[in-house]
Amino acid sequence: MIEIKNVNKYFDGFKVLDNMNMKVEKGSIYGLVGVNGSGKTTLLKHLTGVFKPDSGEITIEGEPVFDNPKVKSEVAYIIDDLLCLGLRNLEEWGKYYSSIYPQWNGERFSELIKELGLNPKNNLSKFSKGMKKQAAFALAMSTCPKLLVLDEPLDGLDPLVRRKVTKHIVDDVAEREMTVVISSHNLREIESLCDTVGIISEGNMQIEKEMDELKSDVCKIQAVFKTEPDLSGLNVLVREKRGSVDLMIIRGDIEATEDYLRQFDPLVLDILPLSLEEVFIYEAGGENDEFSKLLF
Amino acid sequence: MFQIDVKSRKPIYEQIVDYFKELIISGAMKKDEKAPSVRELAKELTINPNTIQKAYRELENRGFFYSITGVGSFVSGLHEEEIRPSKLNEMRTAFMSALKELLYYGCPHDEIFSMLEDCGLKLTADQRKSDQRMSQNKGTEPQEGRGER
Repeated sequence: MIEIKNVNKYFDGFKVLDNMNMKVEKGSIYGLVGVNGSGKTTLLKHLTGVFKPDSGEITIEGEPVFDNPKVKSEVAYIIDDLLCLGLRNLEEWGKYYSSIYPQWNGERFSELIKELGLNPKNNLSKFSKGMKKQAAFALAMSTCPKLLVLDEPLDGLDPLVRRKVTKHIVDDVAEREMTVVISSHNLREIESLCDTVGIISEGNMQIEKEMDELKSDVCKIQAVFKTEPDLSGLNVLVREKRGSVDLMIIRGDIEATEDYLRQFDPLVLDILPLSLEEVFIYEAGGENDEFSKLLF
Repeated sequence: MFQIDVKSRKPIYEQIVDYFKELIISGAMKKDEKAPSVRELAKELTINPNTIQKAYRELENRGFFYSITGVGSFVSGLHEEEIRPSKLNEMRTAFMSALKELLYYGCPHDEIFSMLEDCGLKLTADQRKSDQRMSQNKGTEPQEGRGER
C-alpha cells in the first residue's frame, strides 16, 4: 500500500529525515512512535504529499503522492488543529469538502457530527480544542478515505469520545480495508490498536515490525535460583540482583529462554513479555543504567 | 461477549485464542458452530481486524477451528491439541505452586484428593492409602501430585 524508500529531507541545512524507509500493508493499522523531534510529523507530511522529499521515493499503491490529486483525494490527514480557511461552521466545511472529495458521504457526515454532539451551525471559533479535533475527525471519516493518517489524534480526547472514534476507525478497517497510520505518544493505545509498529529516531526508521513479534523478541524475567546459573547460553541485556531475586532482560525466543532456565531448577521463575512502553524505552533510550531503573 | 484486557502483557490475539479455546473445551461452543465473523468481532470488541484474523488463523492451526472460504470459521469439535512441552511445564508449575500453597495453609490431604477426584481423576485404593501414610508424617509433599503428571 504505502512505500517510502530512502527519503531524505533537509530544513535549512538541518537533516530531518535521514534515509527514511517505511512500509505499510493495505488494511493495516500502523503505529508510528518516536521521541519528540524525531521526525514523525515531517514523515507524515511527506506521506500525505504536503512536503516534497529532497530525495527518495514515496508511493501509495504504486503511485507517487506529491502533486497527485487522484491519490490525495483518497487520503485523509488529521493534524493537531483544524485549519481556518475562513469557513465559519461545520456546515460550510461539509460543503467545501464535498466539492473536493469525490467519495464524500454527506449522510455519514451528518450522522457523525450528531453522534459526537457537534452543532453544524455553531461558529468554529467557539469550539473547544477537543471539539475541533472531533470535527476534524468527522470530516476526515466522511471522505471515506483509503488511507487515514492521524497525527496524535486521540491525545486530548476524553475516554468516551476516544472509544467512539476508535470504533469508527476499526469499523472502516473491517468493512473497507482502510489503511491507518497513527502517530502517538500514548503507547498503550498504540499497543492495543495497531498491528504493526515503526519506531523512528533522528529521522531514521529504527525498527519496523509486527506488534506481537516486537514484543515477543525480548522478555523480562524474575527468578530465584538456588545456585548461580550458567547464563552463557542466553543473550542477557540487563541483569540486576535484588536480594535473592534475579531480574533480567533477555533477548530471544521466550519458550527457548524458559526451557533453558528451567534446567537450573529455579525456585521461582516468572517470564513476562515486555510491554511496548518498555521496548520503546529500551530502543529509544539506548542501553544505559536508566533502562533498568525505568523498567523495574 | 468477552472483555479484552488491553493492559495485560498477554498479546490480544492470544487472549482471543484462549477465550475460544475455553468456550470449546467447556462445551459452550459446539462442533460445527459458526464463529462470529472477523468483521463482527472487530466491531464488537473495537479490536484491530488483523489481530482477530491472526487469532483465527492460530485457532485453525491448532485444530480448534476450520474455515470454509467465503462462509466463515467453524468449530471443528474437541480433539487433542498438540501440546507443546513448554506449555505442559507451565501448567505443571501452576499446579505445583497452587498445591504447595494449599498445603502451606494446611488444606487437609483428603480434600485435595477429593478435588482431584472431582476433576475426574480415579485414584486407586493404594494411592489413597499412601496418602494416609503421608498425612501421618506431615509436611512432606504428596507424591501423588507428581504421579498425576
